[in-house]
Amino acid sequence: MKFLLTALTCLTLTGYLSAQDNTDSAVSKSVIRVNATIQSWNPSQPWDKSAPGKRRALGALLSGNRVLTTAEMAADASYIELENADSTRTLPAKVVAIDYETNLALLSPDNGDTEGFFQGLSPLSLGTPAKIGDQVDVWQLEDNGMPLVTQATIQSVDVVSSFAEGNFFLTYEAKGSMQSASSSFTLPVVRDGKLLGLLSSYNSKDQIIDIMTPEIISAFLADAEDGKYIGVPSLGIGVSSTVDPNFRNWLKLPDDVGGLYVTRIRNKSAAEAAGLKKGDVLVAINEHAIGRRGYYSHPNYGRVFWSHLVRGSHAVGETIQLTVLREGKEKQLTATLTRASKRLVPSLTYDQAPKFLVKGGFIFQELSATYLRAFGKEWQSSAPLNLLDVLSSPEDYEEGRNTLVFLSATIPTPATTGYERISNQIIGKINGQPIADIASLIKAFQQPGKDGLHTIEFDDGHPKTIYLDAATSDTIDAELLKRGIPRLSRQ
Amino acid sequence: MIKPIGLFGISLLSLSALAHLPLSAQEVNPLAPLPAAPAANQQDHQIYGSIVRIEAATQVPNYREPWKAGRFSGGIGTGFLIGPNRFLTNAHVVSNARRLLITKHGSPRKHPARIVHIAHDCDLALLEVDDPTAFVGLQTLQIGAVPKLESQVRVIGYPVGGNRISVTRGVVSRIDFNAYSHTRSDMHLVVQIDAAINPGNSGGPVLQNGHVVGVAFQGLRSADNTGYMIPTPVIRRFLKDIEDGQYDHYVDLGISEFPLFNPAMRKKFGLKQNDPGVLVARVTPEGPCDGVVKDNDILTAINGNTVDAAGNILIDGEKVNMNEIVERKFSGDTIKLDLIREGKVVQTQVTLKPFPQARMYSVQYGVKPRFTTFAGLVLQPLDRNLYAAHSFSNTRVRRLFAHYIDEAIFKERKDIVILTRILADPVNTHVSGHTGTAVESINGEKITSLQQAHELLHPETPPEFFVIKCEGLERPIVIPGDKAAEASRRTQSNYGINTSHKL
Repeated sequence: MKFLLTALTCLTLTGYLSAQDNTDSAVSKSVIRVNATIQSWNPSQPWDKSAPGKRRALGALLSGNRVLTTAEMAADASYIELENADSTRTLPAKVVAIDYETNLALLSPDNGDTEGFFQGLSPLSLGTPAKIGDQVDVWQLEDNGMPLVTQATIQSVDVVSSFAEGNFFLTYEAKGSMQSASSSFTLPVVRDGKLLGLLSSYNSKDQIIDIMTPEIISAFLADAEDGKYIGVPSLGIGVSSTVDPNFRNWLKLPDDVGGLYVTRIRNKSAAEAAGLKKGDVLVAINEHAIGRRGYYSHPNYGRVFWSHLVRGSHAVGETIQLTVLREGKEKQLTATLTRASKRLVPSLTYDQAPKFLVKGGFIFQELSATYLRAFGKEWQSSAPLNLLDVLSSPEDYEEGRNTLVFLSATIPTPATTGYERISNQIIGKINGQPIADIASLIKAFQQPGKDGLHTIEFDDGHPKTIYLDAATSDTIDAELLKRGIPRLSRQ
Repeated sequence: MIKPIGLFGISLLSLSALAHLPLSAQEVNPLAPLPAAPAANQQDHQIYGSIVRIEAATQVPNYREPWKAGRFSGGIGTGFLIGPNRFLTNAHVVSNARRLLITKHGSPRKHPARIVHIAHDCDLALLEVDDPTAFVGLQTLQIGAVPKLESQVRVIGYPVGGNRISVTRGVVSRIDFNAYSHTRSDMHLVVQIDAAINPGNSGGPVLQNGHVVGVAFQGLRSADNTGYMIPTPVIRRFLKDIEDGQYDHYVDLGISEFPLFNPAMRKKFGLKQNDPGVLVARVTPEGPCDGVVKDNDILTAINGNTVDAAGNILIDGEKVNMNEIVERKFSGDTIKLDLIREGKVVQTQVTLKPFPQARMYSVQYGVKPRFTTFAGLVLQPLDRNLYAAHSFSNTRVRRLFAHYIDEAIFKERKDIVILTRILADPVNTHVSGHTGTAVESINGEKITSLQQAHELLHPETPPEFFVIKCEGLERPIVIPGDKAAEASRRTQSNYGINTSHKL
């Protein structure tokens, strides 16, 4: 009896090993190492880049010599390099398409021995959506190039924000015990030999793996196909749940509907164009009834958050049907989906050099969330209050502005004597002209007053108006260039 | 036995900037030799008798749960006799006091005392004992002048480490306008000495040549052997202010100035290199200068004292901030101002007046926190105490606080009413994200005071719904009118709230 048991065990083991062999060669042929040098811009000295940092991760090889990886790997990259599994070949790469919101990036070769690099490698094709309970393989590479395959089971589906804060997309959550290996980041997840998704994060405590779904990846690849990447659509609304029975009674919501209370409509958004209004209750999108907490019934996945119906299921230009209750009456609205409208304070500024002007020692910039986040972990309390207010209530500042121009800091110079402590003040006018963005600021500074002085008017702060000697500041600008500031403006 | 630190609680609390030196520090520090003759010794002994130990039992209000009685605590400070049954000390020694006891040097007897006048803005208080007979015949200390830089002074008091009187010596190292930490919002003349001032020293006299030249009141945590005293101009002002039987608070000019150092700025205003004058950057709305002085005026002289480009004037050979003129004045006094407005010389005068709205920024003592409750919601008016207790993160609330005066928000809103807490109850269980925001309206009416909010929430006949809108949040809090009263009763009993409101 004992012998039999051992024999059985051996049999199983042999079978497992051979399957493992096949997978191993597939892993080595379809997984690409991605090495990126990341460099963001210095928020306080916008002419400088910050010190470079390295990131290493994996990508999945797709047809046409393309490599799929996360946006996190390619955002703010100064240089990207592909490397094969056993580290015998490398190839410089460029970004074909990048989506910070969904956290996806598509890379392709850039000036190198493309043919040699891809020889013997085999691209993965994209698989179909999985179901809850499906087994998947997570592919990793060890330092020595040996593949490492971890099995995981998909346990649930949710919308998750993986890179750019506040952007939630359909994600599988799978359970599996991973080990750390080199480049344990953005790992391909495979089912039945096809690419199911990319691992975006792993929680080692709960052993939960977040996997970006094929729905989101295929939409990204389809968008990138023509070489002009557009991005995911946005409806442009803020909502609140309708769980509170008192709130429901006040809204006169019948018990048999769920619905989300619309609290905000962004300027120039798809929702605004569709005629959606603050105070409407959104009860269905494309006839999918939306519950009190904002979930609808997905045929495959069960309860899924409503945002997937907009951001994960449609492309820009497509229309969706909105059913709303307005003052108790049902209304049908049609929204043509667009990209999120431009914000006064942009939240995503990856790969964008900050616009600025240095004048006589004053540093002017356009406000971005990136600038505010640079105030550290506690930025929401430590960043300047006036600028935080612009971020939280942009509608109070939008009139006449494309972006918000502010005086970020003062370099002590003969022109800025007595102004050394002025920083982070919002600009209203320069030389009498209202300032809409850095371009208009630069233009306004070209016309000093007849007395040879520039007039700088702040929106806030005391004093509200200060003066800068035009001739002195021009001399100082030339001096600053000599002292090593590479440029005085960027627009 | 070393007393528990709690006994010195009040001093530690108010002297937040105080150095916590080891108890032996005073023994270790070498003292400068006493230039004292035997006669002076005798005089010293008499002086010791007039320097008393003050023991305060306090009750500190709870701004997080305002219906509670607050924390019972206490502390030790020093005071001194300046007249028949008149003891001078720091306001922070006796703030929030429920019982005060005064002990004479070398005597075991504790004399019950009470506050006659208290001035939080300059951290001074005048006390009297119920029965003055034990203090009759004691020498009263005389108030002297501002000591010169580098001159030596003695600090006498009852600091940590024992029950007996303690004497330390130091040198006057700086005379400057500086913050008074008791209210966190006031600035007056301060004299810095290089003797450590420890908890318990507070309220004690600083002496030079037998005269009081200051009241020891705060230290510095970041530097060793640095103490601060309230100089005599501030003491004299306090004593003069209370002559009419009440303390009227400091008055302020109500302008903020900006130094005119920049050449372009000087050119714009037609000022030559050595011309006097500081820029008026902002006139406080409804302050004494509102309507008289304008933004962008150049202030060249105040009561005939030339104001330089940095906003300083020369008094008694010392350069001091121009506000020193106003510091010594009282409500109703007039101040002459020389201005340059759009290139023309203007002479004007302003009448100083109290500006109570500015107390939004001062820590309040001896008052019960105001609040109201409704169906588990706790509403409180915004002020420094509330802000410190809750450390608000909501940008709108922080903005309302920061600009309450300079954007004249006070004109419309007597109180900024904050929803500080929601005590969970079936009627409010699904309300979330509203705590820590300002209440904008109740049933469509804009909220301008706690009283008004309270009245709107407690009408004779309740509306169908109470709809409470908070600033920055579109989704209102809705409480059904027929369930509100029951919910209020329920939350009060569940959470042990014995007082539903204090308006």
